[in-house]
Amino acid sequence: MILVGELSLWVALLMAAWGTTMGFAAGVTRRAELVLSAERAIYATFAFILLASLGIWTAILASDFSFKFVASFTSANLPTVYKFTAFWAGQSGSLLFWALILSLYSAIAVATIGSQRSELKPYVAGTLSAVTLFFTLVLCFGANPYERLDWIPPDGRGMNPQLQNPGMAAHPPNLYLGLIATTVPFAYAVAALITRRLDSEWLVAVRRWALLSWFFLTVGITLGMWWAYVELGWGGYWAWDPVENASFLPWLTGTAFLHSIMVQEKRGMLRKWNVTLVAATFLLSIFGTFITRSGVISSVHSFAQSPVGYWFAGFLVLMIVATAYLVSTRLRDLRGVSQLESVVSREAAFLFNNLVLVGMAFSVLWGTIFPILSEAVRGEKITVGPSFFNQVNIPFGLLLLALTGIGPLIAWRKASAASLKRQFAASLTGGLVTGGALMALGMRDAYALVAYALAGFVLTTIGQEFYKGIGARRRIYGENVFQALLRLIGRNRRRYGGYIVHLGVVMLFVAFAGQAFRKEQDVTIRAGETFETTDPYGHSWRFVSQGVSRYDELNRQTTALLLDASRDGERVGLLKTEKRQHVDSRGVPTFEPSTEVGILEGIRQDVYVVLAGVSSGETAEIRITFNPLVVWVWVGGAIMAIGGLIVMWPQAGRRHAQAGYAAVLEPRAAIETAS
Amino acid sequence: MKLDRRQFVGEFTAVIAATFVPRSLRAPQSGQSAATNAPMNEGAYRPVRLPAVKSSPSMTNDERDKLEHEIHCQCACNLDVYTCRTTDFTCPVSPAMHRDVMSLVEGGHNAQAILDAFVGAYGERALMAPTKSGFNWAAYVVPFLALGAGTVLVATLLRTWKRQTTLASSPVRNVPVEGTADEIAVIDAAVRRDDG
Repeated sequence: MILVGELSLWVALLMAAWGTTMGFAAGVTRRAELVLSAERAIYATFAFILLASLGIWTAILASDFSFKFVASFTSANLPTVYKFTAFWAGQSGSLLFWALILSLYSAIAVATIGSQRSELKPYVAGTLSAVTLFFTLVLCFGANPYERLDWIPPDGRGMNPQLQNPGMAAHPPNLYLGLIATTVPFAYAVAALITRRLDSEWLVAVRRWALLSWFFLTVGITLGMWWAYVELGWGGYWAWDPVENASFLPWLTGTAFLHSIMVQEKRGMLRKWNVTLVAATFLLSIFGTFITRSGVISSVHSFAQSPVGYWFAGFLVLMIVATAYLVSTRLRDLRGVSQLESVVSREAAFLFNNLVLVGMAFSVLWGTIFPILSEAVRGEKITVGPSFFNQVNIPFGLLLLALTGIGPLIAWRKASAASLKRQFAASLTGGLVTGGALMALGMRDAYALVAYALAGFVLTTIGQEFYKGIGARRRIYGENVFQALLRLIGRNRRRYGGYIVHLGVVMLFVAFAGQAFRKEQDVTIRAGETFETTDPYGHSWRFVSQGVSRYDELNRQTTALLLDASRDGERVGLLKTEKRQHVDSRGVPTFEPSTEVGILEGIRQDVYVVLAGVSSGETAEIRITFNPLVVWVWVGGAIMAIGGLIVMWPQAGRRHAQAGYAAVLEPRAAIETAS
Repeated sequence: MKLDRRQFVGEFTAVIAATFVPRSLRAPQSGQSAATNAPMNEGAYRPVRLPAVKSSPSMTNDERDKLEHEIHCQCACNLDVYTCRTTDFTCPVSPAMHRDVMSLVEGGHNAQAILDAFVGAYGERALMAPTKSGFNWAAYVVPFLALGAGTVLVATLLRTWKRQTTLASSPVRNVPVEGTADEIAVIDAAVRRDDG
């Protein structure tokens, strides 16, 4: 199997080259047999990359340490589940994993392209094959997972302990599924630009893939935050690390696209902008890969420094030039067909929403690359850490939160002053009451106050939309509240699924603002000693050390501290925090010791304890952090993902529904015109 | 010298890398920080000492911890000194930097003087954020300038589009949803009847 896998990688390279050539040749010559050949080459590429992946998995599971990749990232005593995930733990394996997902997506994309978009098919196939070709080239010549060692070590180096966590098993695949899905919309955009078929047809397919990408990026980023929180031990979940930023950038532009696409669908506007956003989202995915793999920017969790980064830099430049050429030579075809009736309209609000999202993406990108700029301009290496990103991005975030509440309240085309007054009355009241109540309760942090007031505003907006919709259904169809709610969402998943996503966004902001009240202390404590403190809500806490214990388990030697925690005199539970020294199958230490945090989770706050070290036997040095509202980050992320699923869930009977629209287009337009 | 294809491509990319990226931008490789995957630069510590100006500490422990959040640990972990020293007990750099902070606090130096002393020893990379001076202002200002320019552009576009608009040319189109068009239209009309 391993040999078959190794050979398959090279065959996949040939197949991808063939698919690229046939795809573009079919586009130029319009010969059906070449289109078919390109399509089959994509299926074959997927099959061979799958074989190559199975080969590596076989080598890992068999602990075949003659392979550099297997010896570098696994050991004989690594738990099986992590042997499986070791596939994406290192540079070359993760690139193969990327190629595997890309080839799978490519196969699905060409298989489902549909006859109405047949003119785009050759170029879509050609572009997808070209990107796959790039990855297989990197795999074969730059970072080959089948590279052999000159000698066979008795055991492997093992997996970095911080990657031995369920969050890390799920976080990279989700992130990859999201990042790689940006390739399909990009391929459609290239095809539409080359063929000049820039009507809304290509957007129908693109929207589905953009949603898929957004969904997986949301899940992947949330899982990444959770992993960082429970595993790294620094007490937070987002540090504005370059690699974190690399995943956030395409999420921001992808989110902007999912809003602006509605304007093109409804009004035929923003064509140039939508093509640009699709391309930018893909290019930012590649940029992120470049950052992660080049070592150009120092990062918390990048792969080792490698020349592979420069392959990505070259590919990125090539793609930017090609895209810029295509867009600049098709500006006439990208002209919008509709114009604007009022600056106070949903389409204008979406435009501002896009401005803030893209502005935020720019500021994150700017901060990420600023150390390079500083060194190039001044020769002075600087650090751009969380305090910078927070200063710059909090205003952007608050603007975005405000627009999340404003957008749904404004009608398409034109909203009158009277309607705005009626629509905004409840939401503004909700925001002001929230802000006022928190001020009265003694909250003084300006950013947090604004964030909570805006959260109140947006929550009231969302509640109002559901309340009105449910009320309308109950009046018209006589449904009960539960039926009306379910049918309201089910019958217009795009709108109400979107509102559920917004609900998740509000929860995230509520949690983020909670960090303003975070409280941490470093403590030295011996067995039987007590430490007392107060949390940000004013409750008194008492921690009693139950002592330090040392024991062996699985593939590690553990030093653990137990703390008995009480709040206001009432016992709330035990907290266990550990230092782990991982060892290989011969008991030889493999990595530096790692931290396992102890967390008491709650809806109001987490109590987060880290064992920083143990000195002179039983004396432990710990950090205790009260982290308000952190759990709402995970809840918010989950709600956003659920909302995303609702929005992209396939619509039964859609063909029928679509056919119906043409018939009722005029009456519907008349209703909106009159309203 | 004879090169096989793999060596050729490797050499080629190395040359490209050496041409376009300054060596100083590449991360150092010695050991590994336990808090991160970044290679740990254990020899990065430099003593930061100043003569005492007062006999009493210049700040409380909480204020000192807050100050340590502004100082970048030099072990290549991307964390501040406080977080690194209370998270990663394998890092020899952050405890040493912490000792320097404590000694400067004991010597009566205020927060700004301590930060300046660290910048003097390590350069600006000792700080967790760029100083607000000179070229660094670009880091803080450019995002907001871009947002301002974007706002002006959007406002101009909106005005231009509004001028070009005639009512007849801009119907609102329906996009596919699950419910029948009639159903959606009726619900929408009921929900939006206040729109005026």
